[in-house]
Amino acid sequence: MRVSLNWLKEFVDIDQTPAEVAELLTMAGLEVEGLEHKAQNLNDIRVARILDIKPHPRADRLSICHLDAGKKEVSVVCGATNISKEHIVPLALPGTSLPDGTLIKEGRIRGEISHGMLLAEDEMGLTDDHTGIMILSNELRPGQSLSDAMDLEDWILDVALTPNRIDCASVVGIAREIGAFTNKKIRMPEIHIEEGNTPIEDLASVTVLDSHGCPRYAAGLVDQAKIGYSPFWMRYRLHVSGIRAINNVVDITNYVLMELGQPLHAFDYHRLADGRIVVKRAENGQTFTTLDGQTRDLDDQTLMICDGQREVAIAGIMGGLNSEITLNSVTVLVESAYFDPIMISRSSKRLSLSTEASYRFERGIDIQGADFALKRSLMLIAQLAGGNIAKGIIDCYPEPWSPARIRLRADRANEILGTTIDIKQMADHLSSLNMAVRAVDQNRIEVCPPPFRVDITREADLIEEVARLIGYNNIPVTLPAIRPTEEDYTEFVLRDRIKAMMVGMGFSEIITYCFISPRSADILGAGEKSHLRSFVRLLNPLSQDQSVMRTSLIPGLLSTVRLNSLRDQDDIRVFEWGKVYIKGDGELPQERQVLAALITGLGSRQEWYQEPREADFFDIKGVAENILEELGIDKTEYNRNRPKEGFDPNEYARIFYSGSEIGAIGKVSKDVLKGYGVEKNAHILELYIEPLLSSVVWVKKFTPLAKYPSVRRDISIIVNSSIESAMILSIVKEMGNDLVESVDIFDAYQGKQIAHQEKALAVRISYRSDKRTLTDDEVNNIHEGIIEEIHRQTRGRLREGRKNGHPG
Amino acid sequence: MKEELRREFQAATDSLTAKAIEGVSALVDVTLPGRRAPRGHLHPITQIAEEICTIFSTLGFRVVEGPEVELDYYNFEALNMPKDHPARDIQDTFYISDNVVLRTHTSPMQIRVMEKQLPPVSVVAPGKVYRPDSDISHTPMFHQVEGLLVDKGVSFGDLKGTLTTFAHQMFGRDTKLRFRPGFFPFTEPSAEVDIQCVICKGDGCRTCSYTGWLEILGSGMVDPEVFKVVGYDLESISGFAFGIGVERIAMLKFGLDDIRVFFENDIRFLRQF
Repeated sequence: MRVSLNWLKEFVDIDQTPAEVAELLTMAGLEVEGLEHKAQNLNDIRVARILDIKPHPRADRLSICHLDAGKKEVSVVCGATNISKEHIVPLALPGTSLPDGTLIKEGRIRGEISHGMLLAEDEMGLTDDHTGIMILSNELRPGQSLSDAMDLEDWILDVALTPNRIDCASVVGIAREIGAFTNKKIRMPEIHIEEGNTPIEDLASVTVLDSHGCPRYAAGLVDQAKIGYSPFWMRYRLHVSGIRAINNVVDITNYVLMELGQPLHAFDYHRLADGRIVVKRAENGQTFTTLDGQTRDLDDQTLMICDGQREVAIAGIMGGLNSEITLNSVTVLVESAYFDPIMISRSSKRLSLSTEASYRFERGIDIQGADFALKRSLMLIAQLAGGNIAKGIIDCYPEPWSPARIRLRADRANEILGTTIDIKQMADHLSSLNMAVRAVDQNRIEVCPPPFRVDITREADLIEEVARLIGYNNIPVTLPAIRPTEEDYTEFVLRDRIKAMMVGMGFSEIITYCFISPRSADILGAGEKSHLRSFVRLLNPLSQDQSVMRTSLIPGLLSTVRLNSLRDQDDIRVFEWGKVYIKGDGELPQERQVLAALITGLGSRQEWYQEPREADFFDIKGVAENILEELGIDKTEYNRNRPKEGFDPNEYARIFYSGSEIGAIGKVSKDVLKGYGVEKNAHILELYIEPLLSSVVWVKKFTPLAKYPSVRRDISIIVNSSIESAMILSIVKEMGNDLVESVDIFDAYQGKQIAHQEKALAVRISYRSDKRTLTDDEVNNIHEGIIEEIHRQTRGRLREGRKNGHPG
Repeated sequence: MKEELRREFQAATDSLTAKAIEGVSALVDVTLPGRRAPRGHLHPITQIAEEICTIFSTLGFRVVEGPEVELDYYNFEALNMPKDHPARDIQDTFYISDNVVLRTHTSPMQIRVMEKQLPPVSVVAPGKVYRPDSDISHTPMFHQVEGLLVDKGVSFGDLKGTLTTFAHQMFGRDTKLRFRPGFFPFTEPSAEVDIQCVICKGDGCRTCSYTGWLEILGSGMVDPEVFKVVGYDLESISGFAFGIGVERIAMLKFGLDDIRVFFENDIRFLRQF
């Protein structure tokens, strides 16, 4: 809410500088987000009197004004038509800067010299009015500084109100708060009314058919009002509050709204059938045209203001076109009501229509203040639009407000705050906030909050008020006892270990949005029943591309590759640790933690010591192996029984450990690359954290180091290319009794030197016993057995005698 | 004669060179770059979230995590924000259904933790949160760390002490703090915590909107309504809660002014951390 400091000063004495007021309010919980100095550069603008106006000899629409500017007389060329001789007007002489930065210069306009410029209100940043030159009071003396003469200098505080402090959504509300923190009394605005003789009851009636929706409805009436333009001071205050001026009566309702926080509505009395006001619910399917010209669909939850025949306003939200004040209106009926917050809030949401009025009603206004605000508006209408105020007001208020009584225990307050505040001091602070305080005993007081503090209903609320007035920064700082944490959350340990390894292997962590496009399942080639299609859908996404929660981390990885490649960064190793969201039968989806890593571009960069090499399947497989080894997960199986969505069917594997699938590796399929606009090959690793967690060896066990020497033997074999190396390794392990310490594949070859459907493998076996030194015979024996078994199972050709290098 | 001398000179040179090669290695250009294994980087948000959690771990807070797709009950109702509560308007929400939302804050973890255990409770809950907002200072997904301490005799002074310790460890020992009243439906009293602007040291600059202060977190004493919801005995215990925006802290620490770069994942950005 934007509020003028000069306006505030009408209600409370302020000795502080504007910056101090802003600080005071901020520390009271009404955060001042901005402080604007109004009219600070209007000092150079002078008051001038028009001595004479002549038409411009060479321009029909321009005139030449001869002006008394105090010390001298000047001529100014002007295009406005609202000025005439003897008018007092604002004049910017050459050298003056306007608030928008324009520098006024002496110049010739169509051959006539202009010694400055006459100004409209908007050109001085005072209002948004540009209908003509601002006409000033006849009492101002030519030559005076305009800003001094009219006391224009002002500060606008931009206050960010929290939803609980709706009582501060008014100038008086903020003034009250300043008063409480500076020990100053508040002056309420004047409501001096001279009533006429005709009782309002003879002219109008109010019937409330829904007293739950409308606990109070007050109305007043002014006859013979003259609708017109509001004076400058009112338009200025509305303008700085962000409200457009319309006509004097409507402006007054808005002015009182800003001043007191009570929304008002003015009806054209003669357009109200039978002079009646009926408050009732709308019917389903009805429509209604609001002031803004929009036709609104109503339902039976919408509270309406009706006349004797039809609807004339949506209660608490917006008036109707059919009864608005126009320049022809003569008699004005002003509504000042209290509507049920929840009803207004629901209607406002349903209609997507939020107004200054609904904003206040839905948070709860001061039900006791309705008649005061009504009288204030009647007084202002009589003052500014003339007319006769009908005798009395109508006030349907069947169940008057009664204050809540809340007990406050001083010891509890001090315990919560960590303070030693005296009960008397607490009582004083609460009194300064217009609360009625009564002592109960040495430790307790009974507090009745004022009707505008709808946020105060419990002891906890009072404790906060005490803390606010003491000042949060005056509450002593203490430290709670440290409670040792008893649990080690294993997933976090696993996460940190895996992340550290990924970083060590050159992968950078990315964080991508968890909402993706539903097209992702199609791009990944997901089957109809695939979990990749079990999307959690957003009802109100920001865009279609971010409308479902991800079921895979692959889209995020590939989008990242694309973004980087558009920026000429093609060699990428990235990983993400995050959740996928799989919709199931429950109300909430399954959230599964996944690690996904991607490598693309060069596996090794070109350096002075090495040739460049494209990354391939075995780069990503190495990452998987490293991590699984670190976690103590051995005997994993790389399995190709079922195709894997998104991966190249010839270059992927699912990773299993003791029967459960813990991850997958592979090359991203061409279609998927295309779907994400990625040109270069990419290889991906996925690890599923939940099954992994139950496989991790948390405490590693020591194996005694071997004391006896090892014996190495190599086998070189050419086999059909469909034979997997894992088969050979498992034969070696199986046949080697317990004497095979390790077995490594140190060469693998496919190419010109052997037949098309063949591959050559070279295996190095290390034999060792932990009980004795092995003899040559013993080793040869086992080794021969292994070779025979490999030969039998693979039908491969042995290449004995070659221990190293490629065959051929 | 000349030829002989030349030969002798050559022999001497050769022998010296041979000795040199034998005794000392050839001259190595030590300014050539070393053979480096590639190096990766943790995302800056991860680094800051970890730093926050570590600080609170040393103060005795246990780290917990919970669902991001959350019941309206945990995200709003149980936190003293029934339907139609005006406070719901402060936080625009992504809806999955009438009853399910993407959590708008990590505060639902307060309820989830207290439902499962009796006091004393001391937890921090880091995680992703979601609000439909997108501009230079908002992304529709971001990260928070929630904190909750409930026990006998926990006071607002303890809240101040704990969060002061946090701010000192995060931003340096001489960081000035201020606590000012704020509003959260699930805390009473509520407090916004500001630190003196890390850019201008309080003189006023663009970053702090010329106030000299930067808001870093929201906090407060747990509202009795929240204790009621989880069935705690209101009279015998009290507690405080806080929520820290991870991106906010990261932007201040690293000197960033556009939050969106965190989720672009430009490699050149990631390599800086």
